[in-house]
Amino acid sequence: METRYLGRKGLVTELLRALPTLPPEQRPRFGQLLNTVKAQLQQQVEQRRLELGQREREERLRAERVDITLPPRPLRVGLKHPLTQTMERVRAALIGLGFEFVDSPELDDYRYNFAALNYPDDHPAMDEQMSFYISDTRLLRTQTTSVQGRVMEKRKPPFRIAVIGRCFRNETVDATHHHTFHQVDAFIVDKGISMADLKGVLAAFARQMFGEDVQVRFRPDFFPFVEPGVDYAIYWQGGWLELGGAGLIHPNILRAHSIDPEQWTGFAFGLGIERIPMIQYQIDDLRLFLENDLRFLQRYGA
Amino acid sequence: MRVPIEWLKEYVPVQAEPEELAHRLTMAGLEVEAIEHDEGEPVLNVKVTPNRGDCLSMVGVAREVAALYGLPLHHPMPSARSTEPGDAVRYATVEIIDDDLCPRYAARVVRQVHIAPSPDWMQKRLIAAGMRPINNVVDVTNYVMLELGQPLHAFDLDLLPNRHIVVRRAKPGEKIVTLDGVERALQPEMLMICDATHPVAVAGVMGGAETEVTPNTRNVLLESAHFNPTSIRRTARRLQLSTEASYRFERVVDPGGVVCALDRACELLEQIGAGEPVPGVVDVYPRPARERVVTLRPDRCNLLLGMDLDTHTMTDCLRRLQLNAELRDGVIHVTVPTFRPDLNIEEDLAEEVGRVYGYENIPERLPFGHTHRGSDSPDTRLIRPLQEAFVRAGLIEVHTHTLRAPGPLDDPTRPLVRVRNAASEELSSLRNSLIPSLMDVVVHNLARRQTEIFLFEVGKVFTVLNGDYDERLKAGFAVTGSVFPPGWDARYPAADFFTAKGIVHILLETVGIEEAQYVSASDPRFHPGRSAKVLVGEREVGVFGELHPHILEQLDITRRTVLAGEFDVYTLWSLATQRVRYVPLPKYPAVLRDLAVVAAEEVPYQQVEQTARQAGGTLLESVRLFDVYRGERIPEGTRSLALSLTFRSPERTLTDEEVDGIVQQIVQALEGIGARLRA
Repeated sequence: METRYLGRKGLVTELLRALPTLPPEQRPRFGQLLNTVKAQLQQQVEQRRLELGQREREERLRAERVDITLPPRPLRVGLKHPLTQTMERVRAALIGLGFEFVDSPELDDYRYNFAALNYPDDHPAMDEQMSFYISDTRLLRTQTTSVQGRVMEKRKPPFRIAVIGRCFRNETVDATHHHTFHQVDAFIVDKGISMADLKGVLAAFARQMFGEDVQVRFRPDFFPFVEPGVDYAIYWQGGWLELGGAGLIHPNILRAHSIDPEQWTGFAFGLGIERIPMIQYQIDDLRLFLENDLRFLQRYGA
Repeated sequence: MRVPIEWLKEYVPVQAEPEELAHRLTMAGLEVEAIEHDEGEPVLNVKVTPNRGDCLSMVGVAREVAALYGLPLHHPMPSARSTEPGDAVRYATVEIIDDDLCPRYAARVVRQVHIAPSPDWMQKRLIAAGMRPINNVVDVTNYVMLELGQPLHAFDLDLLPNRHIVVRRAKPGEKIVTLDGVERALQPEMLMICDATHPVAVAGVMGGAETEVTPNTRNVLLESAHFNPTSIRRTARRLQLSTEASYRFERVVDPGGVVCALDRACELLEQIGAGEPVPGVVDVYPRPARERVVTLRPDRCNLLLGMDLDTHTMTDCLRRLQLNAELRDGVIHVTVPTFRPDLNIEEDLAEEVGRVYGYENIPERLPFGHTHRGSDSPDTRLIRPLQEAFVRAGLIEVHTHTLRAPGPLDDPTRPLVRVRNAASEELSSLRNSLIPSLMDVVVHNLARRQTEIFLFEVGKVFTVLNGDYDERLKAGFAVTGSVFPPGWDARYPAADFFTAKGIVHILLETVGIEEAQYVSASDPRFHPGRSAKVLVGEREVGVFGELHPHILEQLDITRRTVLAGEFDVYTLWSLATQRVRYVPLPKYPAVLRDLAVVAAEEVPYQQVEQTARQAGGTLLESVRLFDVYRGERIPEGTRSLALSLTFRSPERTLTDEEVDGIVQQIVQALEGIGARLRA
């Protein structure tokens, strides 16, 4: 149609071209008429073209349609281990409370792991912490508390120190015990530190980890490096959950590092890292953390 | 320890329900782990902390209950108390040679013994407390041990030659057959109860078979003693023999209660008609323990507890625990009885006050005073960016075992640190590399039909270095699967050496290492032609590549390529350069030229790129390899490398002529190393 009427040899074009052959008085009228016709035709052609184009596009898009219910294309997503995430949360909470994290070796001295922590030689308290010995004097630390002596040797109070990491105990592995696990330990030495400060800091820490409505409870317990010594539990979702041990740093330890217990007192607390995700996600088997089944990691990693 | 509530009530008139009592005791430090039932009667299963040996008895627990509920304590004090040797010395004599290990040894004699079962009431209580009734004499010794906490032992007096007891260390080569019928070789530091010539009992642990009370026994010597806790603990451990007696002696038994327990046993034996006690006690106690006085300043007590208690409350709490507490000159003086050896310092007394008053009354407070700025540890600041780099690369973090059995994936250049007392081969050494334990995880997951395994770990490894133990941080990875995860419509090539190199690249970039050399690794764990050690300057920072097919075979991994790598964290960061600096975006357009050269296979790509860069000078902005081709129209033993060169000046627009000139120089330089322009 376009070619037939409007093409280079189309009817309208031909007529326009023939315009000069008309008598001059008729030219304007015919010219005007032809141009109107041409414009109308052009408009209709354009209209049609748009319509055809539209239909073509629609058909193409129809043909390109995919089954949107097919599964997604998997992307490779990296994740941090649930223990790493937990340790990061613990660090953030304690850093917020003014604790300075330090590093301490996993392969430690008997001295720091036991002797400097006021364990009498060969005491039944060590039964609960059967150790992996490397030599007569070296062992894999059984508790991150081993950092206390190292810090007190080098620093003068006041200080607020924390350490987080791997510990080892020579015991049989089951759903709630492992020879390899992780702990965090935090301690303060300052003027006038009391059990009330311990309770306050633990409560602030627990609230950051578990939510605002958490309460903290003390129960007497025995650890050679604290006096008084307590077990602490938090009230969470309707029940009391034991988290770890704590207490006021034993004056023998302060004195052994030339810190005058009359001037300075301190508290210490520790807890198992694994315990936190186990509580949060109701994970019932401690072994899962070191087994590293990808299905487990992909569920709890982030 | 099992505490039948019915038995407990003999000493303290507690009316509370078992659950309430269990809660109260638990909150005061005597943890009741469970309430069990014996023939319908409730029994508390109490976990006693190692410092509270005094609670390993009915009376000990009753004392706590009395304190917590403010109730009177009825001590089963025997009506007749022996103080004099009396007739007893006619029947037996005692000599302590090693009084460092045995500060006190007392004996009483019972004659005309008639061995029979003990009465029902006694048997029931023993069973409820978890012990097996044997006969009237042995049952009485066990009953008194459970009641008062003092272990007793009964010898058949007629089987003791000369009726003489000697307490001494074992002599070299001595042996004893214990009550369980096992012959045990003794070591010189073990304390023994002996007759005139040889051992008849392992002190504080177990009696000997030779002098055991039998149905024929007519005369009995009852032993009640105080032993050094550490000595008993070591002996029990050496002999791998833990008994009710040794458990108590290790946790300190009241030296003041030794004779009282003997008298109580004799009273019971007489009462149940088992025999006739001879009046008098042989009591060897060269240096009697003295009662100590420990003081508590009320201010100090309140400071430690964070409470505000008056002195009356403090003394009341202490007195409820049967401690003699008196306020003198503003200070509380506590006379500590011999059954509480755990109370030695002011803090111990503050704890007793807090415990009895109730820890639930301690307020919450936040410490004030100095301002402290919290911070991460130095190691964490090195570890976290690496963890994040691996995560960006799409790897999943694992935490693997430090303790392992030695294996073919251990780093052969680093001696293993061995565990001296490992229970099994699986826990016998400390990893010297992350690769073995990462591969454990790969194997574990392959066995569970996981096919896409992209793992990393940043953790400690151990070795012996310069005669000492060396503990350091490594960042490692292990990877097997496709380059991208396979979906339902697309398959991708298997991850290979260059995938691993991509991971390494991200790691180096994260640390801020711009220039690294990759040279052939001679590590036997890796494929010799598909592995590299990474050098930064002269320093080796790590190694990575395809694991050796031999090793994969040993792990039962077939038809699969596994990549692994390991980098030293401290070395990496020590070589880090300042990374973030401002470079303005280019103002002038780049000129691009593509170039394909053919070179022998032996010419490493790195040499080609470096040669091009040197010849290209400062105007050559980048060199990018976009194709490697072998085959048609390329001679055997050579390959074609297609490079995309970008030229740019920071000051002006480059002309084609200028660039052509530089390209010409590059082509010439490449010819110098045997790389010719592809026809």
